[in-house]
Amino acid sequence: MKLSLKLALSAATVALTMGFSHAEDMMKLKIGTEGAYPPFNNLTADGKLEGFDIDITNALCAEMKAECEIVTQDWDGIIPALQAGKFDAIIASMSITDERKEKVDFTKKYYNTPPAIAVPKDSTIADISPEALKGKSIGVQASTIHFNFAEAKYGESDIKGFPSAQEYQLDIANGRVDAVMDDVMVLKGFIATPEGTACCKILGTIEPDAKIHGEGAGIAVRKGETDLVNKLNAAIEAIRANGKYDEIAKKYFDFDVYGS
Amino acid sequence: MEKYLILLSWGSQGWLDDIARGAFITVSLALCTLPIGLLIGFFIALGKQSNEPTIKLAANIYTTIFRGLPELLTLFLVYFGIQIGVQKLLALLGFSAQIEINSFVSGMLALGVVFSSYASEVFLSAFRAIPKGQYEGGYAVGLHTGQTMRLIILPQLIRLALPGLSNLWLILLKDTALVSVVGLSDILRQTGVAARVTKEAFLFFGLACLIYLALAIISSFFIERIELWTKKSGVTR
Repeated sequence: MKLSLKLALSAATVALTMGFSHAEDMMKLKIGTEGAYPPFNNLTADGKLEGFDIDITNALCAEMKAECEIVTQDWDGIIPALQAGKFDAIIASMSITDERKEKVDFTKKYYNTPPAIAVPKDSTIADISPEALKGKSIGVQASTIHFNFAEAKYGESDIKGFPSAQEYQLDIANGRVDAVMDDVMVLKGFIATPEGTACCKILGTIEPDAKIHGEGAGIAVRKGETDLVNKLNAAIEAIRANGKYDEIAKKYFDFDVYGS
Repeated sequence: MEKYLILLSWGSQGWLDDIARGAFITVSLALCTLPIGLLIGFFIALGKQSNEPTIKLAANIYTTIFRGLPELLTLFLVYFGIQIGVQKLLALLGFSAQIEINSFVSGMLALGVVFSSYASEVFLSAFRAIPKGQYEGGYAVGLHTGQTMRLIILPQLIRLALPGLSNLWLILLKDTALVSVVGLSDILRQTGVAARVTKEAFLFFGLACLIYLALAIISSFFIERIELWTKKSGVTR
Protein backbone atom coordinates (compact mmCIF):
# COMPACT_ATOMS: atom_id res chain seq x y z
CA MET A 1 0.00 0.00 0.00
CA LYS A 2 2.76 2.40 1.05
CA LEU A 3 4.78 1.59 -2.06
CA SER A 4 1.86 1.97 -4.41
CA LEU A 5 1.04 5.32 -2.84
CA LYS A 6 4.59 6.50 -3.39
CA LEU A 7 4.45 5.36 -6.97
CA ALA A 8 1.21 7.20 -7.42
CA LEU A 9 2.77 10.29 -5.90
CA SER A 10 5.79 10.34 -8.16
CA ALA A 11 3.56 9.66 -11.13
CA ALA A 12 1.35 12.56 -10.10
CA THR A 13 4.37 14.81 -9.76
CA VAL A 14 5.44 14.02 -13.31
CA ALA A 15 2.11 13.81 -15.03
CA LEU A 16 0.38 16.38 -12.81
CA THR A 17 -2.95 15.20 -14.01
CA MET A 18 -3.24 12.11 -11.87
CA GLY A 19 -5.02 12.44 -8.58
CA PHE A 20 -4.91 10.42 -5.43
CA SER A 21 -8.45 9.25 -5.64
CA HIS A 22 -7.36 5.65 -5.86
CA ALA A 23 -4.93 5.99 -2.95
CA GLU A 24 -5.90 6.28 0.72
CA ASP A 25 -9.32 7.30 1.89
CA MET A 26 -10.00 10.95 2.74
CA MET A 27 -6.94 12.39 4.45
CA LYS A 28 -7.70 14.60 7.46
CA LEU A 29 -5.41 17.57 8.04
CA LYS A 30 -5.29 20.31 10.61
CA ILE A 31 -3.66 23.47 9.28
CA GLY A 32 -2.31 26.18 11.55
CA THR A 33 -2.23 29.83 10.55
CA GLU A 34 -1.70 33.14 12.31
CA GLY A 35 -4.84 35.02 11.38
CA ALA A 36 -3.36 38.49 11.71
CA TYR A 37 -1.25 38.99 8.57
CA PRO A 38 -3.32 40.63 5.86
CA PRO A 39 -3.50 40.15 2.93
CA PHE A 40 -2.09 36.64 3.42
CA ASN A 41 -4.07 35.35 6.34
CA ASN A 42 -6.34 37.33 8.62
CA LEU A 43 -9.53 37.00 10.57
CA THR A 44 -12.43 39.22 9.57
CA ALA A 45 -14.86 40.99 11.84
CA ASP A 46 -17.29 38.09 11.56
CA GLY A 47 -14.61 35.64 12.64
CA LYS A 48 -13.85 34.13 9.23
CA LEU A 49 -10.40 33.57 7.80
CA GLU A 50 -9.44 35.13 4.50
CA GLY A 51 -6.35 35.88 2.44
CA PHE A 52 -3.91 34.39 -0.03
CA ASP A 53 -2.65 31.70 2.36
CA ILE A 54 -6.19 30.63 3.14
CA ASP A 55 -7.21 30.36 -0.53
CA ILE A 56 -4.01 28.47 -1.31
CA THR A 57 -4.66 26.15 1.63
CA ASN A 58 -8.15 25.38 0.37
CA ALA A 59 -6.87 24.82 -3.17
CA LEU A 60 -4.13 22.49 -1.93
CA CYS A 61 -6.57 20.55 0.21
CA ALA A 62 -8.97 20.19 -2.70
CA GLU A 63 -6.07 19.02 -4.86
CA MET A 64 -4.97 16.46 -2.25
CA LYS A 65 -8.58 15.45 -1.66
CA ALA A 66 -7.96 16.13 2.00
CA GLU A 67 -10.42 17.31 4.58
CA CYS A 68 -8.78 20.35 6.12
CA GLU A 69 -9.52 22.28 9.25
CA ILE A 70 -7.77 25.64 9.64
CA VAL A 71 -7.00 26.77 13.17
CA THR A 72 -5.48 30.06 14.28
CA GLN A 73 -2.57 30.36 16.63
CA ASP A 74 -0.51 33.36 17.75
CA TRP A 75 2.77 33.61 15.80
CA ASP A 76 5.02 33.29 18.87
CA GLY A 77 3.76 29.82 19.66
CA ILE A 78 3.15 28.55 16.15
CA ILE A 79 6.19 26.25 15.77
CA PRO A 80 5.90 24.78 19.29
CA ALA A 81 2.22 24.14 18.59
CA LEU A 82 3.12 22.28 15.38
CA GLN A 83 5.71 20.21 17.22
CA ALA A 84 3.28 19.45 20.01
CA GLY A 85 0.82 18.13 17.45
CA LYS A 86 -1.82 20.84 17.75
CA PHE A 87 -1.90 20.85 13.96
CA ASP A 88 -0.16 19.04 11.10
CA ALA A 89 1.08 21.88 8.91
CA ILE A 90 1.65 25.63 9.08
CA ILE A 91 0.45 27.65 6.11
CA ALA A 92 1.06 31.15 7.35
CA SER A 93 3.53 32.81 4.98
CA MET A 94 6.38 31.26 6.93
CA SER A 95 9.72 31.91 5.26
CA ILE A 96 11.93 28.90 4.72
CA THR A 97 15.12 29.47 6.73
CA ASP A 98 17.97 27.22 7.86
CA GLU A 99 17.23 28.14 11.45
CA ARG A 100 13.64 26.95 11.14
CA LYS A 101 14.69 23.87 9.15
CA GLU A 102 16.39 22.61 12.30
CA LYS A 103 12.99 22.46 13.96
CA VAL A 104 10.56 21.68 11.14
CA ASP A 105 10.52 20.32 7.59
CA PHE A 106 9.44 22.55 4.73
CA THR A 107 7.80 22.02 1.39
CA LYS A 108 9.06 23.93 -1.62
CA LYS A 109 8.11 27.59 -1.63
CA TYR A 110 4.56 28.51 -2.52
CA TYR A 111 5.46 32.15 -3.00
CA ASN A 112 8.41 34.51 -2.71
CA THR A 113 8.08 38.28 -2.60
CA PRO A 114 11.01 40.69 -2.30
CA PRO A 115 11.63 42.86 0.77
CA ALA A 116 11.30 46.63 0.52
CA ILE A 117 11.95 49.79 2.48
CA ALA A 118 9.38 52.48 3.19
CA VAL A 119 10.16 55.97 4.45
CA PRO A 120 8.18 59.06 5.42
CA LYS A 121 7.10 61.11 2.38
CA ASP A 122 9.41 64.01 3.20
CA SER A 123 12.38 61.75 3.91
CA THR A 124 15.81 62.80 2.65
CA ILE A 125 17.05 59.22 2.37
CA ALA A 126 18.16 58.87 -1.25
CA ASP A 127 17.95 55.13 -1.89
CA ILE A 128 17.72 51.75 -0.22
CA SER A 129 21.51 51.18 -0.02
CA PRO A 130 23.06 50.62 3.42
CA GLU A 131 25.19 53.76 2.84
CA ALA A 132 22.14 55.94 2.37
CA LEU A 133 20.63 54.60 5.58
CA LYS A 134 23.79 54.96 7.65
CA GLY A 135 23.00 56.32 11.11
CA LYS A 136 19.24 56.22 10.47
CA SER A 137 16.86 54.12 12.48
CA ILE A 138 15.10 51.25 10.71
CA GLY A 139 12.00 49.63 12.19
CA VAL A 140 11.62 45.89 11.56
CA GLN A 141 9.45 43.14 13.00
CA ALA A 142 11.65 41.16 15.38
CA SER A 143 12.26 37.40 14.94
CA THR A 144 11.78 37.66 11.19
CA ILE A 145 14.12 37.22 8.25
CA HIS A 146 13.82 40.96 7.64
CA PHE A 147 15.24 41.63 11.07
CA ASN A 148 18.15 39.25 10.47
CA PHE A 149 18.77 40.84 7.08
CA ALA A 150 18.70 44.36 8.52
CA GLU A 151 21.12 43.36 11.27
CA ALA A 152 23.49 41.78 8.76
CA LYS A 153 23.39 44.30 5.92
CA TYR A 154 22.42 47.54 7.61
CA GLY A 155 24.80 47.31 10.56
CA GLU A 156 25.58 51.03 10.38
CA SER A 157 21.92 51.84 10.90
CA ASP A 158 20.05 51.68 14.17
CA ILE A 159 17.90 48.55 13.82
CA LYS A 160 14.81 48.62 16.01
CA GLY A 161 12.89 45.38 16.54
CA PHE A 162 9.11 45.52 16.97
CA PRO A 163 6.81 42.71 18.09
CA SER A 164 4.56 43.11 15.05
CA ALA A 165 4.23 45.03 11.81
CA GLN A 166 1.50 47.14 13.38
CA GLU A 167 3.88 48.67 15.89
CA TYR A 168 6.62 49.80 13.52
CA GLN A 169 3.90 51.20 11.27
CA LEU A 170 2.65 53.31 14.15
CA ASP A 171 6.16 54.46 14.89
CA ILE A 172 6.98 55.51 11.34
CA ALA A 173 3.66 57.34 11.13
CA ASN A 174 4.67 59.16 14.31
CA GLY A 175 8.16 59.83 12.98
CA ARG A 176 9.93 57.77 15.64
CA VAL A 177 11.84 55.70 13.07
CA ASP A 178 13.42 56.97 9.84
CA ALA A 179 12.56 53.93 7.73
CA VAL A 180 10.89 50.55 7.97
CA MET A 181 11.77 47.30 6.27
CA ASP A 182 9.45 44.42 5.52
CA ASP A 183 8.09 42.34 2.73
CA VAL A 184 6.95 44.52 -0.19
CA MET A 185 3.44 43.11 0.17
CA VAL A 186 3.12 44.13 3.77
CA LEU A 187 4.45 47.62 3.10
CA LYS A 188 2.16 47.99 0.09
CA GLY A 189 -0.76 47.05 2.29
CA PHE A 190 0.34 49.63 4.84
CA ILE A 191 0.73 52.39 2.22
CA ALA A 192 -2.79 51.61 1.05
CA THR A 193 -4.29 52.53 4.45
CA PRO A 194 -5.24 56.17 5.17
CA GLU A 195 -2.39 56.51 7.71
CA GLY A 196 0.10 54.93 5.33
CA THR A 197 -0.95 57.13 2.43
CA ALA A 198 -0.67 60.20 4.62
CA CYS A 199 2.77 59.46 6.01
CA CYS A 200 4.85 57.23 3.85
CA LYS A 201 6.03 55.92 0.51
CA ILE A 202 7.91 52.86 -0.68
CA LEU A 203 11.52 53.81 -1.35
CA GLY A 204 12.31 50.67 -3.30
CA THR A 205 12.56 46.91 -3.22
CA ILE A 206 15.71 45.10 -2.17
CA GLU A 207 17.31 42.21 -4.03
CA PRO A 208 16.67 39.28 -1.70
CA ASP A 209 19.70 37.57 -0.19
CA ALA A 210 19.09 33.85 -0.62
CA LYS A 211 21.21 33.09 2.44
CA ILE A 212 19.04 35.20 4.72
CA HIS A 213 15.71 35.55 2.98
CA GLY A 214 15.76 31.95 1.93
CA GLU A 215 13.72 30.38 -0.76
CA GLY A 216 10.45 32.10 0.03
CA ALA A 217 7.44 31.06 2.04
CA GLY A 218 6.84 27.36 2.47
CA ILE A 219 4.56 25.03 4.34
CA ALA A 220 6.05 23.75 7.58
CA VAL A 221 5.37 20.24 8.88
CA ARG A 222 6.83 18.24 11.75
CA LYS A 223 10.29 16.80 11.15
CA GLY A 224 10.34 13.49 9.38
CA GLU A 225 6.89 13.71 7.81
CA THR A 226 8.28 13.22 4.31
CA ASP A 227 5.06 11.70 3.09
CA LEU A 228 3.08 14.85 3.82
CA VAL A 229 5.82 17.06 2.34
CA ASN A 230 5.71 15.06 -0.88
CA LYS A 231 1.95 15.28 -1.06
CA LEU A 232 1.98 19.03 -0.46
CA ASN A 233 4.76 19.57 -3.00
CA ALA A 234 2.84 17.62 -5.59
CA ALA A 235 -0.28 19.64 -4.83
CA ILE A 236 1.62 22.95 -5.15
CA GLU A 237 2.94 21.89 -8.54
CA ALA A 238 -0.50 20.72 -9.57
CA ILE A 239 -2.23 24.01 -8.77
CA ARG A 240 0.63 25.91 -10.41
CA ALA A 241 0.11 23.86 -13.56
CA ASN A 242 -3.67 23.88 -13.74
CA GLY A 243 -4.05 27.64 -13.37
CA LYS A 244 -5.70 27.54 -9.96
CA TYR A 245 -2.67 29.25 -8.40
CA ASP A 246 -2.68 32.13 -10.88
CA GLU A 247 -6.40 32.55 -10.41
CA ILE A 248 -5.90 33.00 -6.65
CA ALA A 249 -2.77 35.16 -7.05
CA LYS A 250 -4.59 37.52 -9.43
CA LYS A 251 -7.19 38.13 -6.74
CA TYR A 252 -4.58 39.59 -4.40
CA PHE A 253 -1.52 40.80 -6.30
CA ASP A 254 -0.63 42.81 -9.38
CA PHE A 255 2.76 41.12 -9.79
CA ASP A 256 4.17 37.60 -9.96
CA VAL A 257 3.99 36.53 -6.35
CA TYR A 258 5.55 33.12 -7.01
CA GLY A 259 8.83 34.75 -8.04
CA SER A 260 11.44 33.20 -10.27
CA MET B 1 -16.83 58.79 13.13
CA GLU B 2 -19.35 56.49 11.52
CA LYS B 3 -16.49 54.24 10.48
CA TYR B 4 -15.51 53.75 14.11
CA LEU B 5 -19.07 53.01 15.09
CA ILE B 6 -19.21 50.29 12.45
CA LEU B 7 -15.87 48.89 13.59
CA LEU B 8 -17.13 48.76 17.16
CA SER B 9 -20.55 47.38 16.31
CA TRP B 10 -21.92 43.98 17.20
CA GLY B 11 -22.20 41.45 14.39
CA SER B 12 -20.52 40.58 11.14
CA GLN B 13 -19.32 44.12 10.35
CA GLY B 14 -17.90 45.08 13.70
CA TRP B 15 -15.43 43.60 16.13
CA LEU B 16 -17.33 44.15 19.37
CA ASP B 17 -18.76 40.63 19.48
CA ASP B 18 -15.29 39.14 18.94
CA ILE B 19 -13.79 41.29 21.65
CA ALA B 20 -16.67 40.51 24.00
CA ARG B 21 -15.95 36.82 23.48
CA GLY B 22 -12.32 37.60 24.31
CA ALA B 23 -13.40 39.34 27.50
CA PHE B 24 -15.52 36.32 28.41
CA ILE B 25 -12.48 34.04 27.95
CA THR B 26 -10.32 36.34 30.07
CA VAL B 27 -12.84 36.59 32.91
CA SER B 28 -13.76 32.91 32.93
CA LEU B 29 -10.11 31.88 32.84
CA ALA B 30 -9.29 34.14 35.78
CA LEU B 31 -12.35 32.95 37.73
CA CYS B 32 -11.53 29.30 37.09
CA THR B 33 -7.90 29.81 38.06
CA LEU B 34 -8.68 31.57 41.34
CA PRO B 35 -10.03 28.59 43.36
CA ILE B 36 -7.17 26.36 42.18
CA GLY B 37 -4.61 28.99 43.11
CA LEU B 38 -6.17 29.72 46.48
CA LEU B 39 -6.54 26.08 47.43
CA ILE B 40 -3.02 25.05 46.45
CA GLY B 41 -1.63 28.25 47.95
CA PHE B 42 -3.37 27.57 51.26
CA PHE B 43 -1.97 24.05 51.50
CA ILE B 44 1.50 25.17 50.48
CA ALA B 45 1.36 27.74 53.28
CA LEU B 46 0.33 24.98 55.70
CA GLY B 47 3.21 22.89 54.37
CA LYS B 48 5.65 25.69 54.99
CA GLN B 49 4.57 25.82 58.63
CA SER B 50 4.80 22.08 59.01
CA ASN B 51 7.08 20.55 61.60
CA GLU B 52 7.92 17.82 59.12
CA PRO B 53 11.10 19.04 57.35
CA THR B 54 10.47 17.15 54.07
CA ILE B 55 7.04 18.77 53.63
CA LYS B 56 8.54 22.14 54.42
CA LEU B 57 11.30 21.57 51.88
CA ALA B 58 8.85 20.43 49.20
CA ALA B 59 6.70 23.50 49.76
CA ASN B 60 9.74 25.75 49.55
CA ILE B 61 10.95 24.11 46.33
CA TYR B 62 7.48 24.56 44.83
CA THR B 63 7.37 28.29 45.51
CA THR B 64 10.99 28.74 44.44
CA ILE B 65 10.28 27.15 41.06
CA PHE B 66 6.99 28.80 40.23
CA ARG B 67 7.86 32.21 41.57
CA GLY B 68 11.20 32.03 39.81
CA LEU B 69 10.01 31.02 36.35
CA PRO B 70 8.49 33.64 34.08
CA GLU B 71 4.74 32.98 33.76
CA LEU B 72 5.06 32.61 30.01
CA LEU B 73 7.60 29.83 30.40
CA THR B 74 5.40 28.01 32.91
CA LEU B 75 2.57 28.24 30.40
CA PHE B 76 4.77 26.84 27.62
CA LEU B 77 5.90 24.03 29.89
CA VAL B 78 2.35 23.06 30.72
CA TYR B 79 0.85 23.50 27.26
CA PHE B 80 3.56 22.16 24.98
CA GLY B 81 5.74 20.31 27.48
CA ILE B 82 3.04 18.08 28.93
CA GLN B 83 1.64 17.24 25.52
CA ILE B 84 5.05 16.33 24.08
CA GLY B 85 5.95 14.47 27.28
CA VAL B 86 2.76 12.43 27.35
CA GLN B 87 3.06 11.61 23.66
CA LYS B 88 6.68 10.50 24.06
CA LEU B 89 5.64 8.37 27.00
CA LEU B 90 2.78 6.79 25.06
CA ALA B 91 5.04 6.19 22.07
CA LEU B 92 7.49 4.48 24.41
CA LEU B 93 4.71 2.22 25.62
CA GLY B 94 3.69 1.47 22.06
CA PHE B 95 0.54 3.61 21.74
CA SER B 96 0.22 6.19 19.03
CA ALA B 97 -2.77 8.15 20.30
CA GLN B 98 -2.96 11.90 19.78
CA ILE B 99 -3.14 13.57 23.17
CA GLU B 100 -4.57 17.04 23.13
CA ILE B 101 -3.94 19.23 26.15
CA ASN B 102 -6.69 21.80 26.08
CA SER B 103 -5.37 25.35 25.96
CA PHE B 104 -7.91 26.62 28.48
CA VAL B 105 -7.02 23.89 30.97
CA SER B 106 -3.29 24.44 30.54
CA GLY B 107 -3.81 28.17 30.99
CA MET B 108 -5.72 27.43 34.19
CA LEU B 109 -3.02 25.08 35.45
CA ALA B 110 -0.08 27.33 34.60
CA LEU B 111 -1.63 30.51 36.01
CA GLY B 112 -2.98 28.50 38.95
CA VAL B 113 0.42 27.21 40.07
CA VAL B 114 1.99 30.64 39.67
CA PHE B 115 -0.87 32.24 41.62
CA SER B 116 -0.64 29.60 44.33
CA SER B 117 3.08 30.07 44.88
CA TYR B 118 2.59 33.78 45.46
CA ALA B 119 -0.59 33.22 47.46
CA SER B 120 1.20 30.79 49.77
CA GLU B 121 3.49 33.60 50.91
CA VAL B 122 0.50 35.85 51.55
CA PHE B 123 -1.20 33.10 53.55
CA LEU B 124 2.03 32.43 55.42
CA SER B 125 2.37 36.00 56.61
CA ALA B 126 -1.32 35.98 57.56
CA PHE B 127 -0.83 32.77 59.54
CA ARG B 128 2.10 34.31 61.37
CA ALA B 129 0.01 37.34 62.31
CA ILE B 130 -2.48 35.15 64.17
CA PRO B 131 -1.31 34.68 67.77
CA LYS B 132 -0.78 31.19 69.13
CA GLY B 133 -3.37 31.94 71.78
CA GLN B 134 -6.11 31.78 69.17
CA TYR B 135 -5.35 28.12 68.51
CA GLU B 136 -5.02 27.39 72.21
CA GLY B 137 -8.31 29.13 72.89
CA GLY B 138 -9.96 26.90 70.31
CA TYR B 139 -8.57 23.73 71.83
CA ALA B 140 -9.47 24.96 75.33
CA VAL B 141 -13.18 25.19 74.46
CA GLY B 142 -13.04 21.66 73.09
CA LEU B 143 -12.80 22.22 69.32
CA HIS B 144 -10.65 19.77 67.40
CA THR B 145 -7.98 20.88 64.89
CA GLY B 146 -10.27 21.08 61.87
CA GLN B 147 -12.92 23.07 63.73
CA THR B 148 -10.32 25.43 65.16
CA MET B 149 -9.00 26.04 61.67
CA ARG B 150 -12.42 26.57 60.12
CA LEU B 151 -14.14 28.55 62.86
CA ILE B 152 -11.35 30.53 64.47
CA ILE B 153 -8.31 30.76 62.22
CA LEU B 154 -9.81 30.96 58.73
CA PRO B 155 -12.03 34.03 59.27
CA GLN B 156 -9.07 35.94 60.66
CA LEU B 157 -6.82 34.56 57.95
CA ILE B 158 -9.09 35.85 55.21
CA ARG B 159 -9.16 39.30 56.73
CA LEU B 160 -5.39 39.43 57.07
CA ALA B 161 -4.65 37.94 53.66
CA LEU B 162 -7.25 39.90 51.71
CA PRO B 163 -5.13 42.92 50.70
CA GLY B 164 -2.34 40.67 49.43
CA LEU B 165 -4.75 38.33 47.69
CA SER B 166 -6.62 41.13 45.96
CA ASN B 167 -3.28 42.30 44.59
CA LEU B 168 -2.66 38.82 43.25
CA TRP B 169 -6.14 38.69 41.73
CA LEU B 170 -5.52 41.84 39.72
CA ILE B 171 -2.16 40.49 38.58
CA LEU B 172 -3.86 37.25 37.57
CA LEU B 173 -6.47 39.15 35.58
CA LYS B 174 -3.71 40.76 33.54
CA ASP B 175 -1.58 37.63 33.29
CA THR B 176 -4.40 35.93 31.43
CA ALA B 177 -3.21 37.97 28.44
CA LEU B 178 -0.36 35.45 28.16
CA VAL B 179 -2.70 32.67 27.09
CA SER B 180 -3.03 34.20 23.62
CA VAL B 181 0.25 32.47 22.71
CA VAL B 182 -1.28 29.06 23.31
CA GLY B 183 -4.15 29.78 20.96
CA LEU B 184 -6.79 31.10 23.34
CA SER B 185 -8.59 34.13 22.01
CA ASP B 186 -8.58 36.42 25.02
CA ILE B 187 -9.06 40.20 25.07
CA LEU B 188 -5.54 40.97 23.94
CA ARG B 189 -5.49 38.46 21.10
CA GLN B 190 -8.88 39.61 19.78
CA THR B 191 -8.09 43.31 19.99
CA GLY B 192 -4.64 42.62 18.52
CA VAL B 193 -6.17 40.84 15.53
CA ALA B 194 -8.72 43.61 15.10
CA ALA B 195 -6.01 46.27 15.33
CA ARG B 196 -3.79 44.57 12.78
CA VAL B 197 -6.55 43.75 10.33
CA THR B 198 -8.27 47.13 10.44
CA LYS B 199 -5.06 49.15 11.07
CA GLU B 200 -6.88 50.96 13.89
CA ALA B 201 -4.41 50.17 16.65
CA PHE B 202 -5.26 53.07 18.95
CA LEU B 203 -8.95 52.39 18.80
CA PHE B 204 -8.71 48.70 19.65
CA PHE B 205 -5.82 48.75 22.09
CA GLY B 206 -7.54 51.71 23.77
CA LEU B 207 -10.66 49.59 24.03
CA ALA B 208 -8.58 46.77 25.54
CA CYS B 209 -7.25 49.22 28.15
CA LEU B 210 -10.79 50.26 29.04
CA ILE B 211 -11.94 46.66 29.37
CA TYR B 212 -9.05 45.75 31.69
CA LEU B 213 -9.69 48.90 33.71
CA ALA B 214 -13.39 48.10 33.96
CA LEU B 215 -12.56 44.59 35.14
CA ALA B 216 -10.24 46.03 37.78
CA ILE B 217 -12.93 48.44 39.01
CA ILE B 218 -15.55 45.68 39.18
CA SER B 219 -13.03 43.52 41.06
CA SER B 220 -12.29 46.18 43.63
CA PHE B 221 -16.03 46.58 44.23
CA PHE B 222 -16.33 42.89 45.12
CA ILE B 223 -13.13 42.93 47.15
CA GLU B 224 -14.55 45.80 49.18
CA ARG B 225 -17.70 43.79 49.85
CA ILE B 226 -15.63 40.85 51.10
CA GLU B 227 -13.61 43.19 53.27
CA LEU B 228 -16.77 44.61 54.84
CA TRP B 229 -17.98 41.10 55.48
CA THR B 230 -14.76 40.06 57.24
CA LYS B 231 -14.84 43.23 59.33
CA LYS B 232 -18.39 42.51 60.39
CA SER B 233 -17.40 39.10 61.69
CA GLY B 234 -14.52 40.80 63.46
CA VAL B 235 -16.83 43.07 65.40
CA THR B 236 -19.23 40.38 66.55
CA ARG B 237 -16.34 38.24 67.74
